[in-house]
Amino acid sequence: MTLPFSYNARNVVVRWRSSAATVLIIALVVAVCLILQAMAQGIVSSTSATGDPANVIIVRKGSTAESSSIVTRTQARRIQFLPQVQRDERGDPISSAEVVVLANLRRRGGAGEANVSLRGISPAGRALRPQVRLAEGRWFVPGKREVVVSRRLAPRFEGLGLNERFKSGAHSLAVVGIFDAVGTAFESEIWLDANEARSLFDREQFSSVIVRVPSPADQQAMKKSLESDKQLRLLALPEPEYYAKLTKSAGPIRFLGYFLAATLSVGAVFAAMNAMYAIVGRRTREVGTLRILGYPRRIIMLGFLMEGGLLALAGGALGCALAAPFNWVTTSTISFDSFSEIVFKFHITPWLIIQALAFSFAIGVAGSFLPALRVSRLPVIAAVKAV
Amino acid sequence: MNLGAFILKNALRNTRRALLCVLSVAACLFLFVSLLVCLRELTVPPEDIGASLRIAVRNKVSLTVQLPARQGPIIARVPGVAAVTPFSWFGGQFGTEEGTPFAQFAVDPAKFAAMFPDMRLPADQLANWIATRTGCIVGRDLAEKKNFKIGSRITLRGSVWPCDLELIVSGIYDYEIDSTSLFFDHKYLDEATGNTGTVGAWWVLAENAEAVPGIIDRINAAFANTSAEVRAETENAFRMSFVSMLGDIATLIGAICTVVVFTLGIVTASTMSMAVRERFPELAILKAMGFRTRELWAFILAESFLLAALGAVLGIGFAIAFYRSPPVVSAMSIYFPVFEISPRIMARAAIVAAGLGIVASLAPAIQVARLTVVDGLRTLD
Repeated sequence: MTLPFSYNARNVVVRWRSSAATVLIIALVVAVCLILQAMAQGIVSSTSATGDPANVIIVRKGSTAESSSIVTRTQARRIQFLPQVQRDERGDPISSAEVVVLANLRRRGGAGEANVSLRGISPAGRALRPQVRLAEGRWFVPGKREVVVSRRLAPRFEGLGLNERFKSGAHSLAVVGIFDAVGTAFESEIWLDANEARSLFDREQFSSVIVRVPSPADQQAMKKSLESDKQLRLLALPEPEYYAKLTKSAGPIRFLGYFLAATLSVGAVFAAMNAMYAIVGRRTREVGTLRILGYPRRIIMLGFLMEGGLLALAGGALGCALAAPFNWVTTSTISFDSFSEIVFKFHITPWLIIQALAFSFAIGVAGSFLPALRVSRLPVIAAVKAV
Repeated sequence: MNLGAFILKNALRNTRRALLCVLSVAACLFLFVSLLVCLRELTVPPEDIGASLRIAVRNKVSLTVQLPARQGPIIARVPGVAAVTPFSWFGGQFGTEEGTPFAQFAVDPAKFAAMFPDMRLPADQLANWIATRTGCIVGRDLAEKKNFKIGSRITLRGSVWPCDLELIVSGIYDYEIDSTSLFFDHKYLDEATGNTGTVGAWWVLAENAEAVPGIIDRINAAFANTSAEVRAETENAFRMSFVSMLGDIATLIGAICTVVVFTLGIVTASTMSMAVRERFPELAILKAMGFRTRELWAFILAESFLLAALGAVLGIGFAIAFYRSPPVVSAMSIYFPVFEISPRIMARAAIVAAGLGIVASLAPAIQVARLTVVDGLRTLD
């Protein structure tokens, strides 16, 4: 003989006043933890959405970021003319030797500064990244000290808006276009011409080379031929694979999220326990009656566990609703991989929501365990006589 | 029975509820204290006395762009400069660990002792370091964590610099603000890269604090319109520039602190209103006996204050014990070399707890004030 589910469900609804505080506490806890996880997920999502599987990126072996990688000009030329690299209609290899320099720029509306990635690209660099599209203005003309800026970066730093100018070192650069790089790591970048970047920032060598190698078999062959030459000390990776690893900054944020979840859930369990003791205390007679009607102890206990879980689940759902608007918010922090500013959106995935709801349900069940045990163990007569 | 005993008895008559509330408050305050320390470590870099005399010089483009080594002698000739050393971040990988497990800098060992007077390194170890081209010194905490001893060999694989280094530990230093770094001779780095021409940054020591602004202006001017313009700033300003790079993290942690405090408020307030509601009949009797609303509020206030205070003692006390325990200290040292709960932070947590006690007593106090004796006596639980 089981208690109908609606008995407990209706109890949560009818007596909502007495448990509103608990629901609110759980909602806040869940919202805070979810927002932190969504931030970490945002970093992961932006890097994992970057790159084209048909592209191979070549960097110096051992370098952790493009900005600290060195590919000499001789090496770059050799890579471009490898047989696996696809050619365009004119017979030129589709490849881009690039330079990544970090420039310290001033944030808008404050005294702070941060490092921003400037990427110098070769003419084929745009064709290699179809994800990046011009949104406003025009593309830069090499040699005229012009740059294009990501739409997300432009409002965050001084002088990065369309038709504005900014200084880096001794040079003044003009922003002639704004590009859209929907949800990828390129959203944190400024693009200009590679050779111009080399001369502006006094760089003899390139940072990386990106080549179009559509077939996975060719990619493997190319990787082998480059990496077997120990003199070169180069690393070749499919572009998505390279970017997917740049998630070091997500680690501490995720850790902070877990730490918060652990400590706050302790507080929330105690608070929920308090509320559940009060709830079961008020219903002692009701429980006695149920026992007389023939409901066994463990069914009653189960019922109260469900009730605590449902209550907390309501809190969890409220928490998710509170956190939901963050899904459209853009934020920024430093990348521990490249030491530059990364701009990304909080990303609340369905999986994170499921985790959040499961977490809240667990808080509720944990908090109602002892109260449920107590009330189900009361002797029937004492329970019925209780005031 | 005096008043104190009356309040205490009241607070503890539902021991379980009082205990749960105290524990809940303690957990939240523990978190609050942790976040505050975290925020302070991120936004207020540690300072020592010598810092006011030190100037950091980096490439104007950004710290990651190298400077030409020829700048060194030019900076050394600027009036008021006592010493100059290169200061290059090596960022090597160690052992099988991913990324850079500890900071490594290439410096000039001969200038080092003068540059960081608060750093304690035995004279013989310093002499040994200066004499050994491949020598390095490591911080006490790092040495203990990685089991480095004098004479240990350390292999670092370069990630920023295209070379690997084979270092020998010449000395172990003690330094309050940073005891987890490794310093080695810049000449060895030049040798390993085969490039004597570049450094990451310069560290400059001024003869006295008054000379600092003048030196900064002169250094900036000395390299203006060259291919490597520099930005000279005090060491503290340099450290502060990292705070801004963290972006929205600091704001986020601050916002979380606020939410935690708000949650704490709800926890205590709901406990207090539960406690007071079940006591309506007695409070009505007290009213009938002639106690005024003001006095009844004082009872409630004292009780909620007591709960909050117990929670604060437990939460802050646990935080202090937790963050001092050796396993936690060594686990935290990667991100936070110093994770100390300062008196100021304790005071802030205590103030929050006190505020909590007051806020939590307000709603029940209003209920009691509105309560008429007859209604109160009629209340059934």
